[in-house]
Amino acid sequence: MVVPALLLAAQVLTWTVDAGTRGALVEDHRAPLVVVTIEFPVGTWSPWARAHDAADAFTFQDDDPQRALRKRADALAATIDLGMGRRSASMSIRCLKGDLDATLALAKDVLANTRYDEHELKRAQRERKIRWRGKETDVSFRTDQAGARLFFAPEDPRRIPFEKPEPVEADVAKLVATRDLMIRLPGRIVGFAGDLTLEEAKRAADGLLPASDAAVPDGIAPHLLALTPAGSRPRESDIKMRKLTQVYLEYDRDSLPWDDPRRPAFLVADHVLGGHFYSRLYVALRHDAGDTYGAGTSEAGDVVPNVYSASTFTRAENAGPIEAKLRGVMDVFQEEGITEDERAGAISYLRGNRAFDRQSAGQILRRFLMERRLSLPSGFFDEQIERASTLSVGEINAFIREFYDPGQFSIVRAVPE
Amino acid sequence: MLTALILATLVQTTLPNGLEVTILPDPTMPVVATQVWYHVGSANEGKDNRGLAHLFEHLMFGATTTSERGGYGKFVTGVGGEENAYTSPDETIYVSEVPPGAENEILRREADRMRNLSLTRENLDNEKKIVTEELRLRTENDPTSRLLVQAQRALLGEHPYAYDPSGSKADVAAATVASCQAFYDAYYHPNNAHLVVVGPVDPERLMATVRETFGPLPRGGTTPADVPPLYGWPFPSGFELKEDIPPVEVAIIGAPLPQADAKDAMAIEVLLEVLAGGSVDPLHEIVVARRKKAIEAGIETIALRRGGGIVFYSASLPYRRKTTAMRVLDEAIQELDRMEWLTDQTLAAGKRRLIEDDADAFLFAAERAEDIGTSRWWLGDTRFAFDRASRISAVTRDEVAAAWRAYVRDAKWIRVYVKPEHVPAYIRMFGWLYPLFS
Repeated sequence: MVVPALLLAAQVLTWTVDAGTRGALVEDHRAPLVVVTIEFPVGTWSPWARAHDAADAFTFQDDDPQRALRKRADALAATIDLGMGRRSASMSIRCLKGDLDATLALAKDVLANTRYDEHELKRAQRERKIRWRGKETDVSFRTDQAGARLFFAPEDPRRIPFEKPEPVEADVAKLVATRDLMIRLPGRIVGFAGDLTLEEAKRAADGLLPASDAAVPDGIAPHLLALTPAGSRPRESDIKMRKLTQVYLEYDRDSLPWDDPRRPAFLVADHVLGGHFYSRLYVALRHDAGDTYGAGTSEAGDVVPNVYSASTFTRAENAGPIEAKLRGVMDVFQEEGITEDERAGAISYLRGNRAFDRQSAGQILRRFLMERRLSLPSGFFDEQIERASTLSVGEINAFIREFYDPGQFSIVRAVPE
Repeated sequence: MLTALILATLVQTTLPNGLEVTILPDPTMPVVATQVWYHVGSANEGKDNRGLAHLFEHLMFGATTTSERGGYGKFVTGVGGEENAYTSPDETIYVSEVPPGAENEILRREADRMRNLSLTRENLDNEKKIVTEELRLRTENDPTSRLLVQAQRALLGEHPYAYDPSGSKADVAAATVASCQAFYDAYYHPNNAHLVVVGPVDPERLMATVRETFGPLPRGGTTPADVPPLYGWPFPSGFELKEDIPPVEVAIIGAPLPQADAKDAMAIEVLLEVLAGGSVDPLHEIVVARRKKAIEAGIETIALRRGGGIVFYSASLPYRRKTTAMRVLDEAIQELDRMEWLTDQTLAAGKRRLIEDDADAFLFAAERAEDIGTSRWWLGDTRFAFDRASRISAVTRDEVAAAWRAYVRDAKWIRVYVKPEHVPAYIRMFGWLYPLFS
């Protein structure tokens, strides 16, 4: 019988598939399922990818005019999802173990498809335009957009998701050439999770991808611009939106990179300030006076700075008082820091909560791939929690005094037109 | 094999006070999921207490006679767990997931708040403000939600499913301590609840905790009247809606489906999976890819305990006439009636997709607990959570075809047309050129 410790301490087995490709496996034989994630080392933050419409090239490759590839996936009861993140493009596959060979044969055909559906590309362009118009009334998008505009220059890839999208590239030959190059770049990984052995995984990975023989073009690595310095950023940004009956507030600063040595202190501080249902922000803004339904903190985390937000919302006529309360909570937090009880509670939460992303082999593989993508050592996130547990209240409060300095923050408001 | 071993340790019982208990021990899981299903939802409310099921969900995190306000949540967070609650038209569910070892305290606290809640004016007033902000967030300030609330009312009339589970601002304002206490006394009793625990637990010891904590609670309250089935309800033949959506017009044709425990429910589930569960939507292929009559089209389904629905929709730039859009949909449904989408191969694939989804859910304690709770309340027996694969496999092609004919082809259709409030001038002027270039 398998015991819980098996997944809590699951090992990721790795091997070399070929000169440009690694393999990885997390075994779990509880259900007859296999997850395969293939990552290619080029993402939306790459200038080359943007110049060559690589996201379109990668994500439309399973759309042939007769939908033959997708129909094969449906017949196999397999899912093949194509996506492009900031630093990598990925093909994510899920199927029953008995269908693995046929599903991987299909995956190879998708990666070799040269018959993109031109009508679908034109249709997707119209849909993209309409969806962009739909963003006008999406308050969460609009506040994030305003935040991104405060911190990032127009050409910075961290801002691009919030600006009007480029048209879908409709030149099939160009799309095929781009896709063919990006999937042949060295630095690929094929990750398996689920009901297969190391021998089976190695056999499945062999010959799955074309040779990684592409020369790495210029501009393939992420290229980010300098953040707008706190002193040059507007301290306030108001967005007016039609039909709003509430105001939405985001109190923003640049986030701490995940590999910053101060990150363990941040984990504790952020949990106490806005990381749970009885955090400082939730208690002050929701539980104490019913000003809001939600309050908390969030970040678009990475090993480079992005935006860190403390946010809330309330009825329009309560805008002034809740903003004063939000700023008040932040000021007290910065000046007084946290207590020993809060420190201990945060550590207990962080340690206990680790079990939640170890419920399946697929989750463990995802975490491993993220660490690899960000060039972080394996087990990095667990190590951060252990480091946090060694910090004293004094050390954490010293960090809080510096990081939560009000001079570093700007406020974004979405208000009724 | 592993499934058989786990099922051999399944504990199912009903306490003398009527509380149904299901414990599924699984030592392979790293977290324990507990769920308390109260068999009362927003559809059980009347004109005088609308919105109370959801408001009450909030109040259940208040103080009890033995615990401070927020004590439950603080305990769960303190051990690294997650907790929440959901109100649907059919039930209210209190869920938690905690690392092993914390489940005994969860059970003690769930039993405590089942009967010992302290309802105070101060807490009620605060929660009313919070719920009102939630309503503003979820429905007032989101165009799609505004549209859905309008559609629900126009479609369902006086059916109990017509009302948003969160109620309206007026409903929330009308709640009093007395009305909340009456709701609590009527429905929050062991004999109207089902406790489900899944994870690495010792079933005998946990059952002893269940008896110790829930056992002393008295049977009481009333059983809510059952909700009328959707199938057979007198729906309108159609209506139009307008909302601040992107500049597209949406044509919708829909029909009701029978309740979750209907004799042919499994055939209907397989039908919907074969028809609409894959990555290639047959309606999209006809209307968008082949006939080029819309920008998007597809088939969606909805499931509630006392019935569901199937919806065929298409979205076009706002230059096409409503009658044309509806005719295109009618023609596409007639084409689907040839049942080229239903072959032995597509049937087998649809069944395998359902079985694969179940296999994935099998790995997560919370998902398995939800399957068990749903099977008990929606289908009438927890065993349906464990024999789904064999029931899916048993469905025949003839049964799927019969379900199509009965519930789709021969249905009395409801037609809905949605228009945007704002259409940019360039689309109004030049949108008709779109087909010339597609």
